[in-house]
Amino acid sequence: MRRWGGEQLLLALPMLFLVVFFYGPIANLLREGLTKDGAFSLEFLWTVLTDDYFRYVILFTLWQALLSTLASIALGLPLAFILTHYDFPLKRVVRALTIVPFVLPAITVALGFALLFGRNGYLNQFLMNLFGLSEPPLPIMYSLTGIVLAHAFYNAPIITRTVHAAWERLDPRYEESARALGASRFFVFKDITLPMILPGLLSGAALVFIFCFLSFPIVLSVGGGRFSTIEVEIYTRVVTRLDPQLVNYKIGAALALVGLVLSLAVTYLYLRLQGGLARQTEQLRPRSTAPLFAGVRDLLYPTKLLLWLYVLCSVILFVGPVLAIVVDSLREETAEGARWTLRWYSYIFTPNYEALVGDSPLRAIINSLSFGLGATAIAVPLGLIFAYVIARLRWAGRRLFDTLLMAPLATSSIVLAFALLRAFNAPPLRLVGSSTAVIIAHAVIIFPFIVRALVPILESLDVRLTEMARSLGAGRFRALREIELPLVATGLIAGAVFAFALSLGEMSATLMLARPGLSTMPVAVYRFLSQHSLGAPSAMSVVMIAVSAIAFILLERWGERALRF
Amino acid sequence: MLRRAALVALFIGLGLAWGSSFAQISEGSKLVVYTYESFVAWGPAKFIKTEFEKQHPGIEVEFVATGPSRAMFARLVNERISGGTPADLFLGEVNDVPRAKKFGLFTPLKPEEIPNLRSVPKDLLLDPDLTIVPYEHGFITLVYDSTKLKPEELPKTFEDLTKSQYQKKLIVQNALTSSVGQSFLFWTIYNYGEGRYLDYWRRLLPSILTIQPGWSAAYKLFTKGEAPMIVSFSTDECFDARYKPLLLNSQGYRTIFGASVIKGTDNPKLAREFINFLLSPEVQEKLPDTEVMFPANSQAKIPDQWRTCAVIPPNPVIIPLEYVAENADRWLDEWARLVVTGR
Repeated sequence: MRRWGGEQLLLALPMLFLVVFFYGPIANLLREGLTKDGAFSLEFLWTVLTDDYFRYVILFTLWQALLSTLASIALGLPLAFILTHYDFPLKRVVRALTIVPFVLPAITVALGFALLFGRNGYLNQFLMNLFGLSEPPLPIMYSLTGIVLAHAFYNAPIITRTVHAAWERLDPRYEESARALGASRFFVFKDITLPMILPGLLSGAALVFIFCFLSFPIVLSVGGGRFSTIEVEIYTRVVTRLDPQLVNYKIGAALALVGLVLSLAVTYLYLRLQGGLARQTEQLRPRSTAPLFAGVRDLLYPTKLLLWLYVLCSVILFVGPVLAIVVDSLREETAEGARWTLRWYSYIFTPNYEALVGDSPLRAIINSLSFGLGATAIAVPLGLIFAYVIARLRWAGRRLFDTLLMAPLATSSIVLAFALLRAFNAPPLRLVGSSTAVIIAHAVIIFPFIVRALVPILESLDVRLTEMARSLGAGRFRALREIELPLVATGLIAGAVFAFALSLGEMSATLMLARPGLSTMPVAVYRFLSQHSLGAPSAMSVVMIAVSAIAFILLERWGERALRF
Repeated sequence: MLRRAALVALFIGLGLAWGSSFAQISEGSKLVVYTYESFVAWGPAKFIKTEFEKQHPGIEVEFVATGPSRAMFARLVNERISGGTPADLFLGEVNDVPRAKKFGLFTPLKPEEIPNLRSVPKDLLLDPDLTIVPYEHGFITLVYDSTKLKPEELPKTFEDLTKSQYQKKLIVQNALTSSVGQSFLFWTIYNYGEGRYLDYWRRLLPSILTIQPGWSAAYKLFTKGEAPMIVSFSTDECFDARYKPLLLNSQGYRTIFGASVIKGTDNPKLAREFINFLLSPEVQEKLPDTEVMFPANSQAKIPDQWRTCAVIPPNPVIIPLEYVAENADRWLDEWARLVVTGR
């Protein structure tokens, strides 16, 4: 109890940061949904909760998020299995690249999907030629299936990463002993493996659910106007249908409140589940792995065949759209037909290019990377402190506190963007249009990932190690630096890379707060799309994929070296 | 080691970012123009900036275009209700801001303040108080891929379009998020009236392949062969000869872009001069090539090839702005409910 004072002081600074840059602005905007003519009123909330249309939209939002989460698990779990159990060339690179989908702007993914799965897409054309059909056989685009698959494209890697991390930490001797005692493979998986990887799986699934719950450009582009989610409603009411009495604005704010409560409820539920399932695991021996491809006779084993079938499907789903974008960036339609070209690349890198006042793509790359690094540099200490407090202190209401910390992740991006615009537009925080505003916004959005990555590891850490170090005379900071940090290094790097990726892909807040000269890569993609230059957005997307992929690989390498001593 | 690494990251990140720029609020020497992204991305913005700055030494023009005109308007409103806006001027589609007057964000102008307004035809002046000054216009029509559809296969009326032969053959834009989509919705309301337009849309839905959030993404899908018809502009053939306009009911729905001076600007005179410059022949003659729009100034020369490729529909139509301002919200609401729930 004696040290409470110090810990409270440690907490005060990051809490102040969050109150000023998140809770305050958000509360200020959500208040719009609870007031009418300046007085408290439940009218808008009542409208949102009772109107048939809004009920339809809310239920659809939950339904598509559920389906998308299930699809992400179905597609992400086998890859985690492969990464844990098998060896193959470039495994580390593949693992680092699983995060790339996460940074892609929705317009790029929507286009990649259309090129691959559309009526005139490669897959449908291939099947029509193969079977001599007159109509495209796979109505994937412009449907709920398309939305769910696109969400899986984004989010299955989250499942893969969280499950893979849990699986690698699981001591293989548990499974080996069970097998030796005669348990079948299935029962070993059901009774031993699954319960041990369940916390990882659930935490991943909850994240995916929240992301899909809040997703809106994918719903608008891949699904199309016939689908609407809470987030789409907020966007159209707050942005495109403003009225002088601000009725739509207030309905949007009320919807945002409902959305926030729902996604926080999911967060709370999952934190409870995770808390109940957490186990101490001390891994003493690393897991042995087998080569993925052991020869042609692999194809004789049904399980291996199934695995290969999965690899084929996931290559189509994850690599296909990206490949389609790469091809699109190298093609040009002319009156004589399509041909290969590099003109879109020279087009986006022409320095004196007439368009894009004040913003060159090169500038956008530099901006993206420096915003990402800056935001991560703020988010890491922030997340570390919070994770430490949550994991180490046993006090009533810590789950609630943890849930509230996750609020930036559970907040609609449009609401956050407008809330920050309003907050940063008034003194004393007149920061709109500055890079500081963008970096702070990104830091607020991404720090929950650091917390999420660290809490489970810190909780399962053997406290005795720290106590031993302290009793041998190490100071609090030294124990943290020399004992705890190296032990959580993997999690910290994974969280930081993820946070960095989220910053690279962020668009709503960046667009809202940026002024000319502060564009990021996704903004540049979006800009090029609104020109009559058809291949340029694809070329910019390819540049973005390349830059982020290299950044992730370097960050993982560099991070491991920096933390492993 | 860790501390050093964190410090390095902190310095790289903050140093780079901090150095680049800091908060800039509108000053006397700066003219901030809020506009839609395509005006900046492939429009005449750069030319205007260069020339206007040349004519007014010491003045800097800054274009802020982080979304379509409706999104920019939302940004303007949000800035106004929180702590003031740096914007001096707003450029956007008139149907996107029909209620701008009620928001009280724009200053009414007098015709004599904008000398070049003399050459603008009266039918473009939708606002009698001149809070919005038109600078370019065009026509929303259907556009078809002439390599996919033969002339005899084309629909001629709105009714034709609902026939089963056109199932999934049309790409449209979302009226809630796109100006073009909204114009198409208003066009059906113009033809079918308040009472019957929803019924028409119910019958039209099977012909629609997808309702895309914006014109650009929709057009990209169209060029990739997803569907042979799209709601677009009557000038598209000037860009690619394969894509030809298709006039339903011999009509085209007018789309007009206007400039407004923000109330409370510290540069009212300069803002008016900017609008006058926007209407000058030298800028206006840039519009066909950059914006693919007709100039508002009738004195401006139009490129020669436009005589054949840019179609002016025999019956241009538009619902009066004050009627739109009164009803648009309800129309959009009813439309959204229909397309989302199917009821």
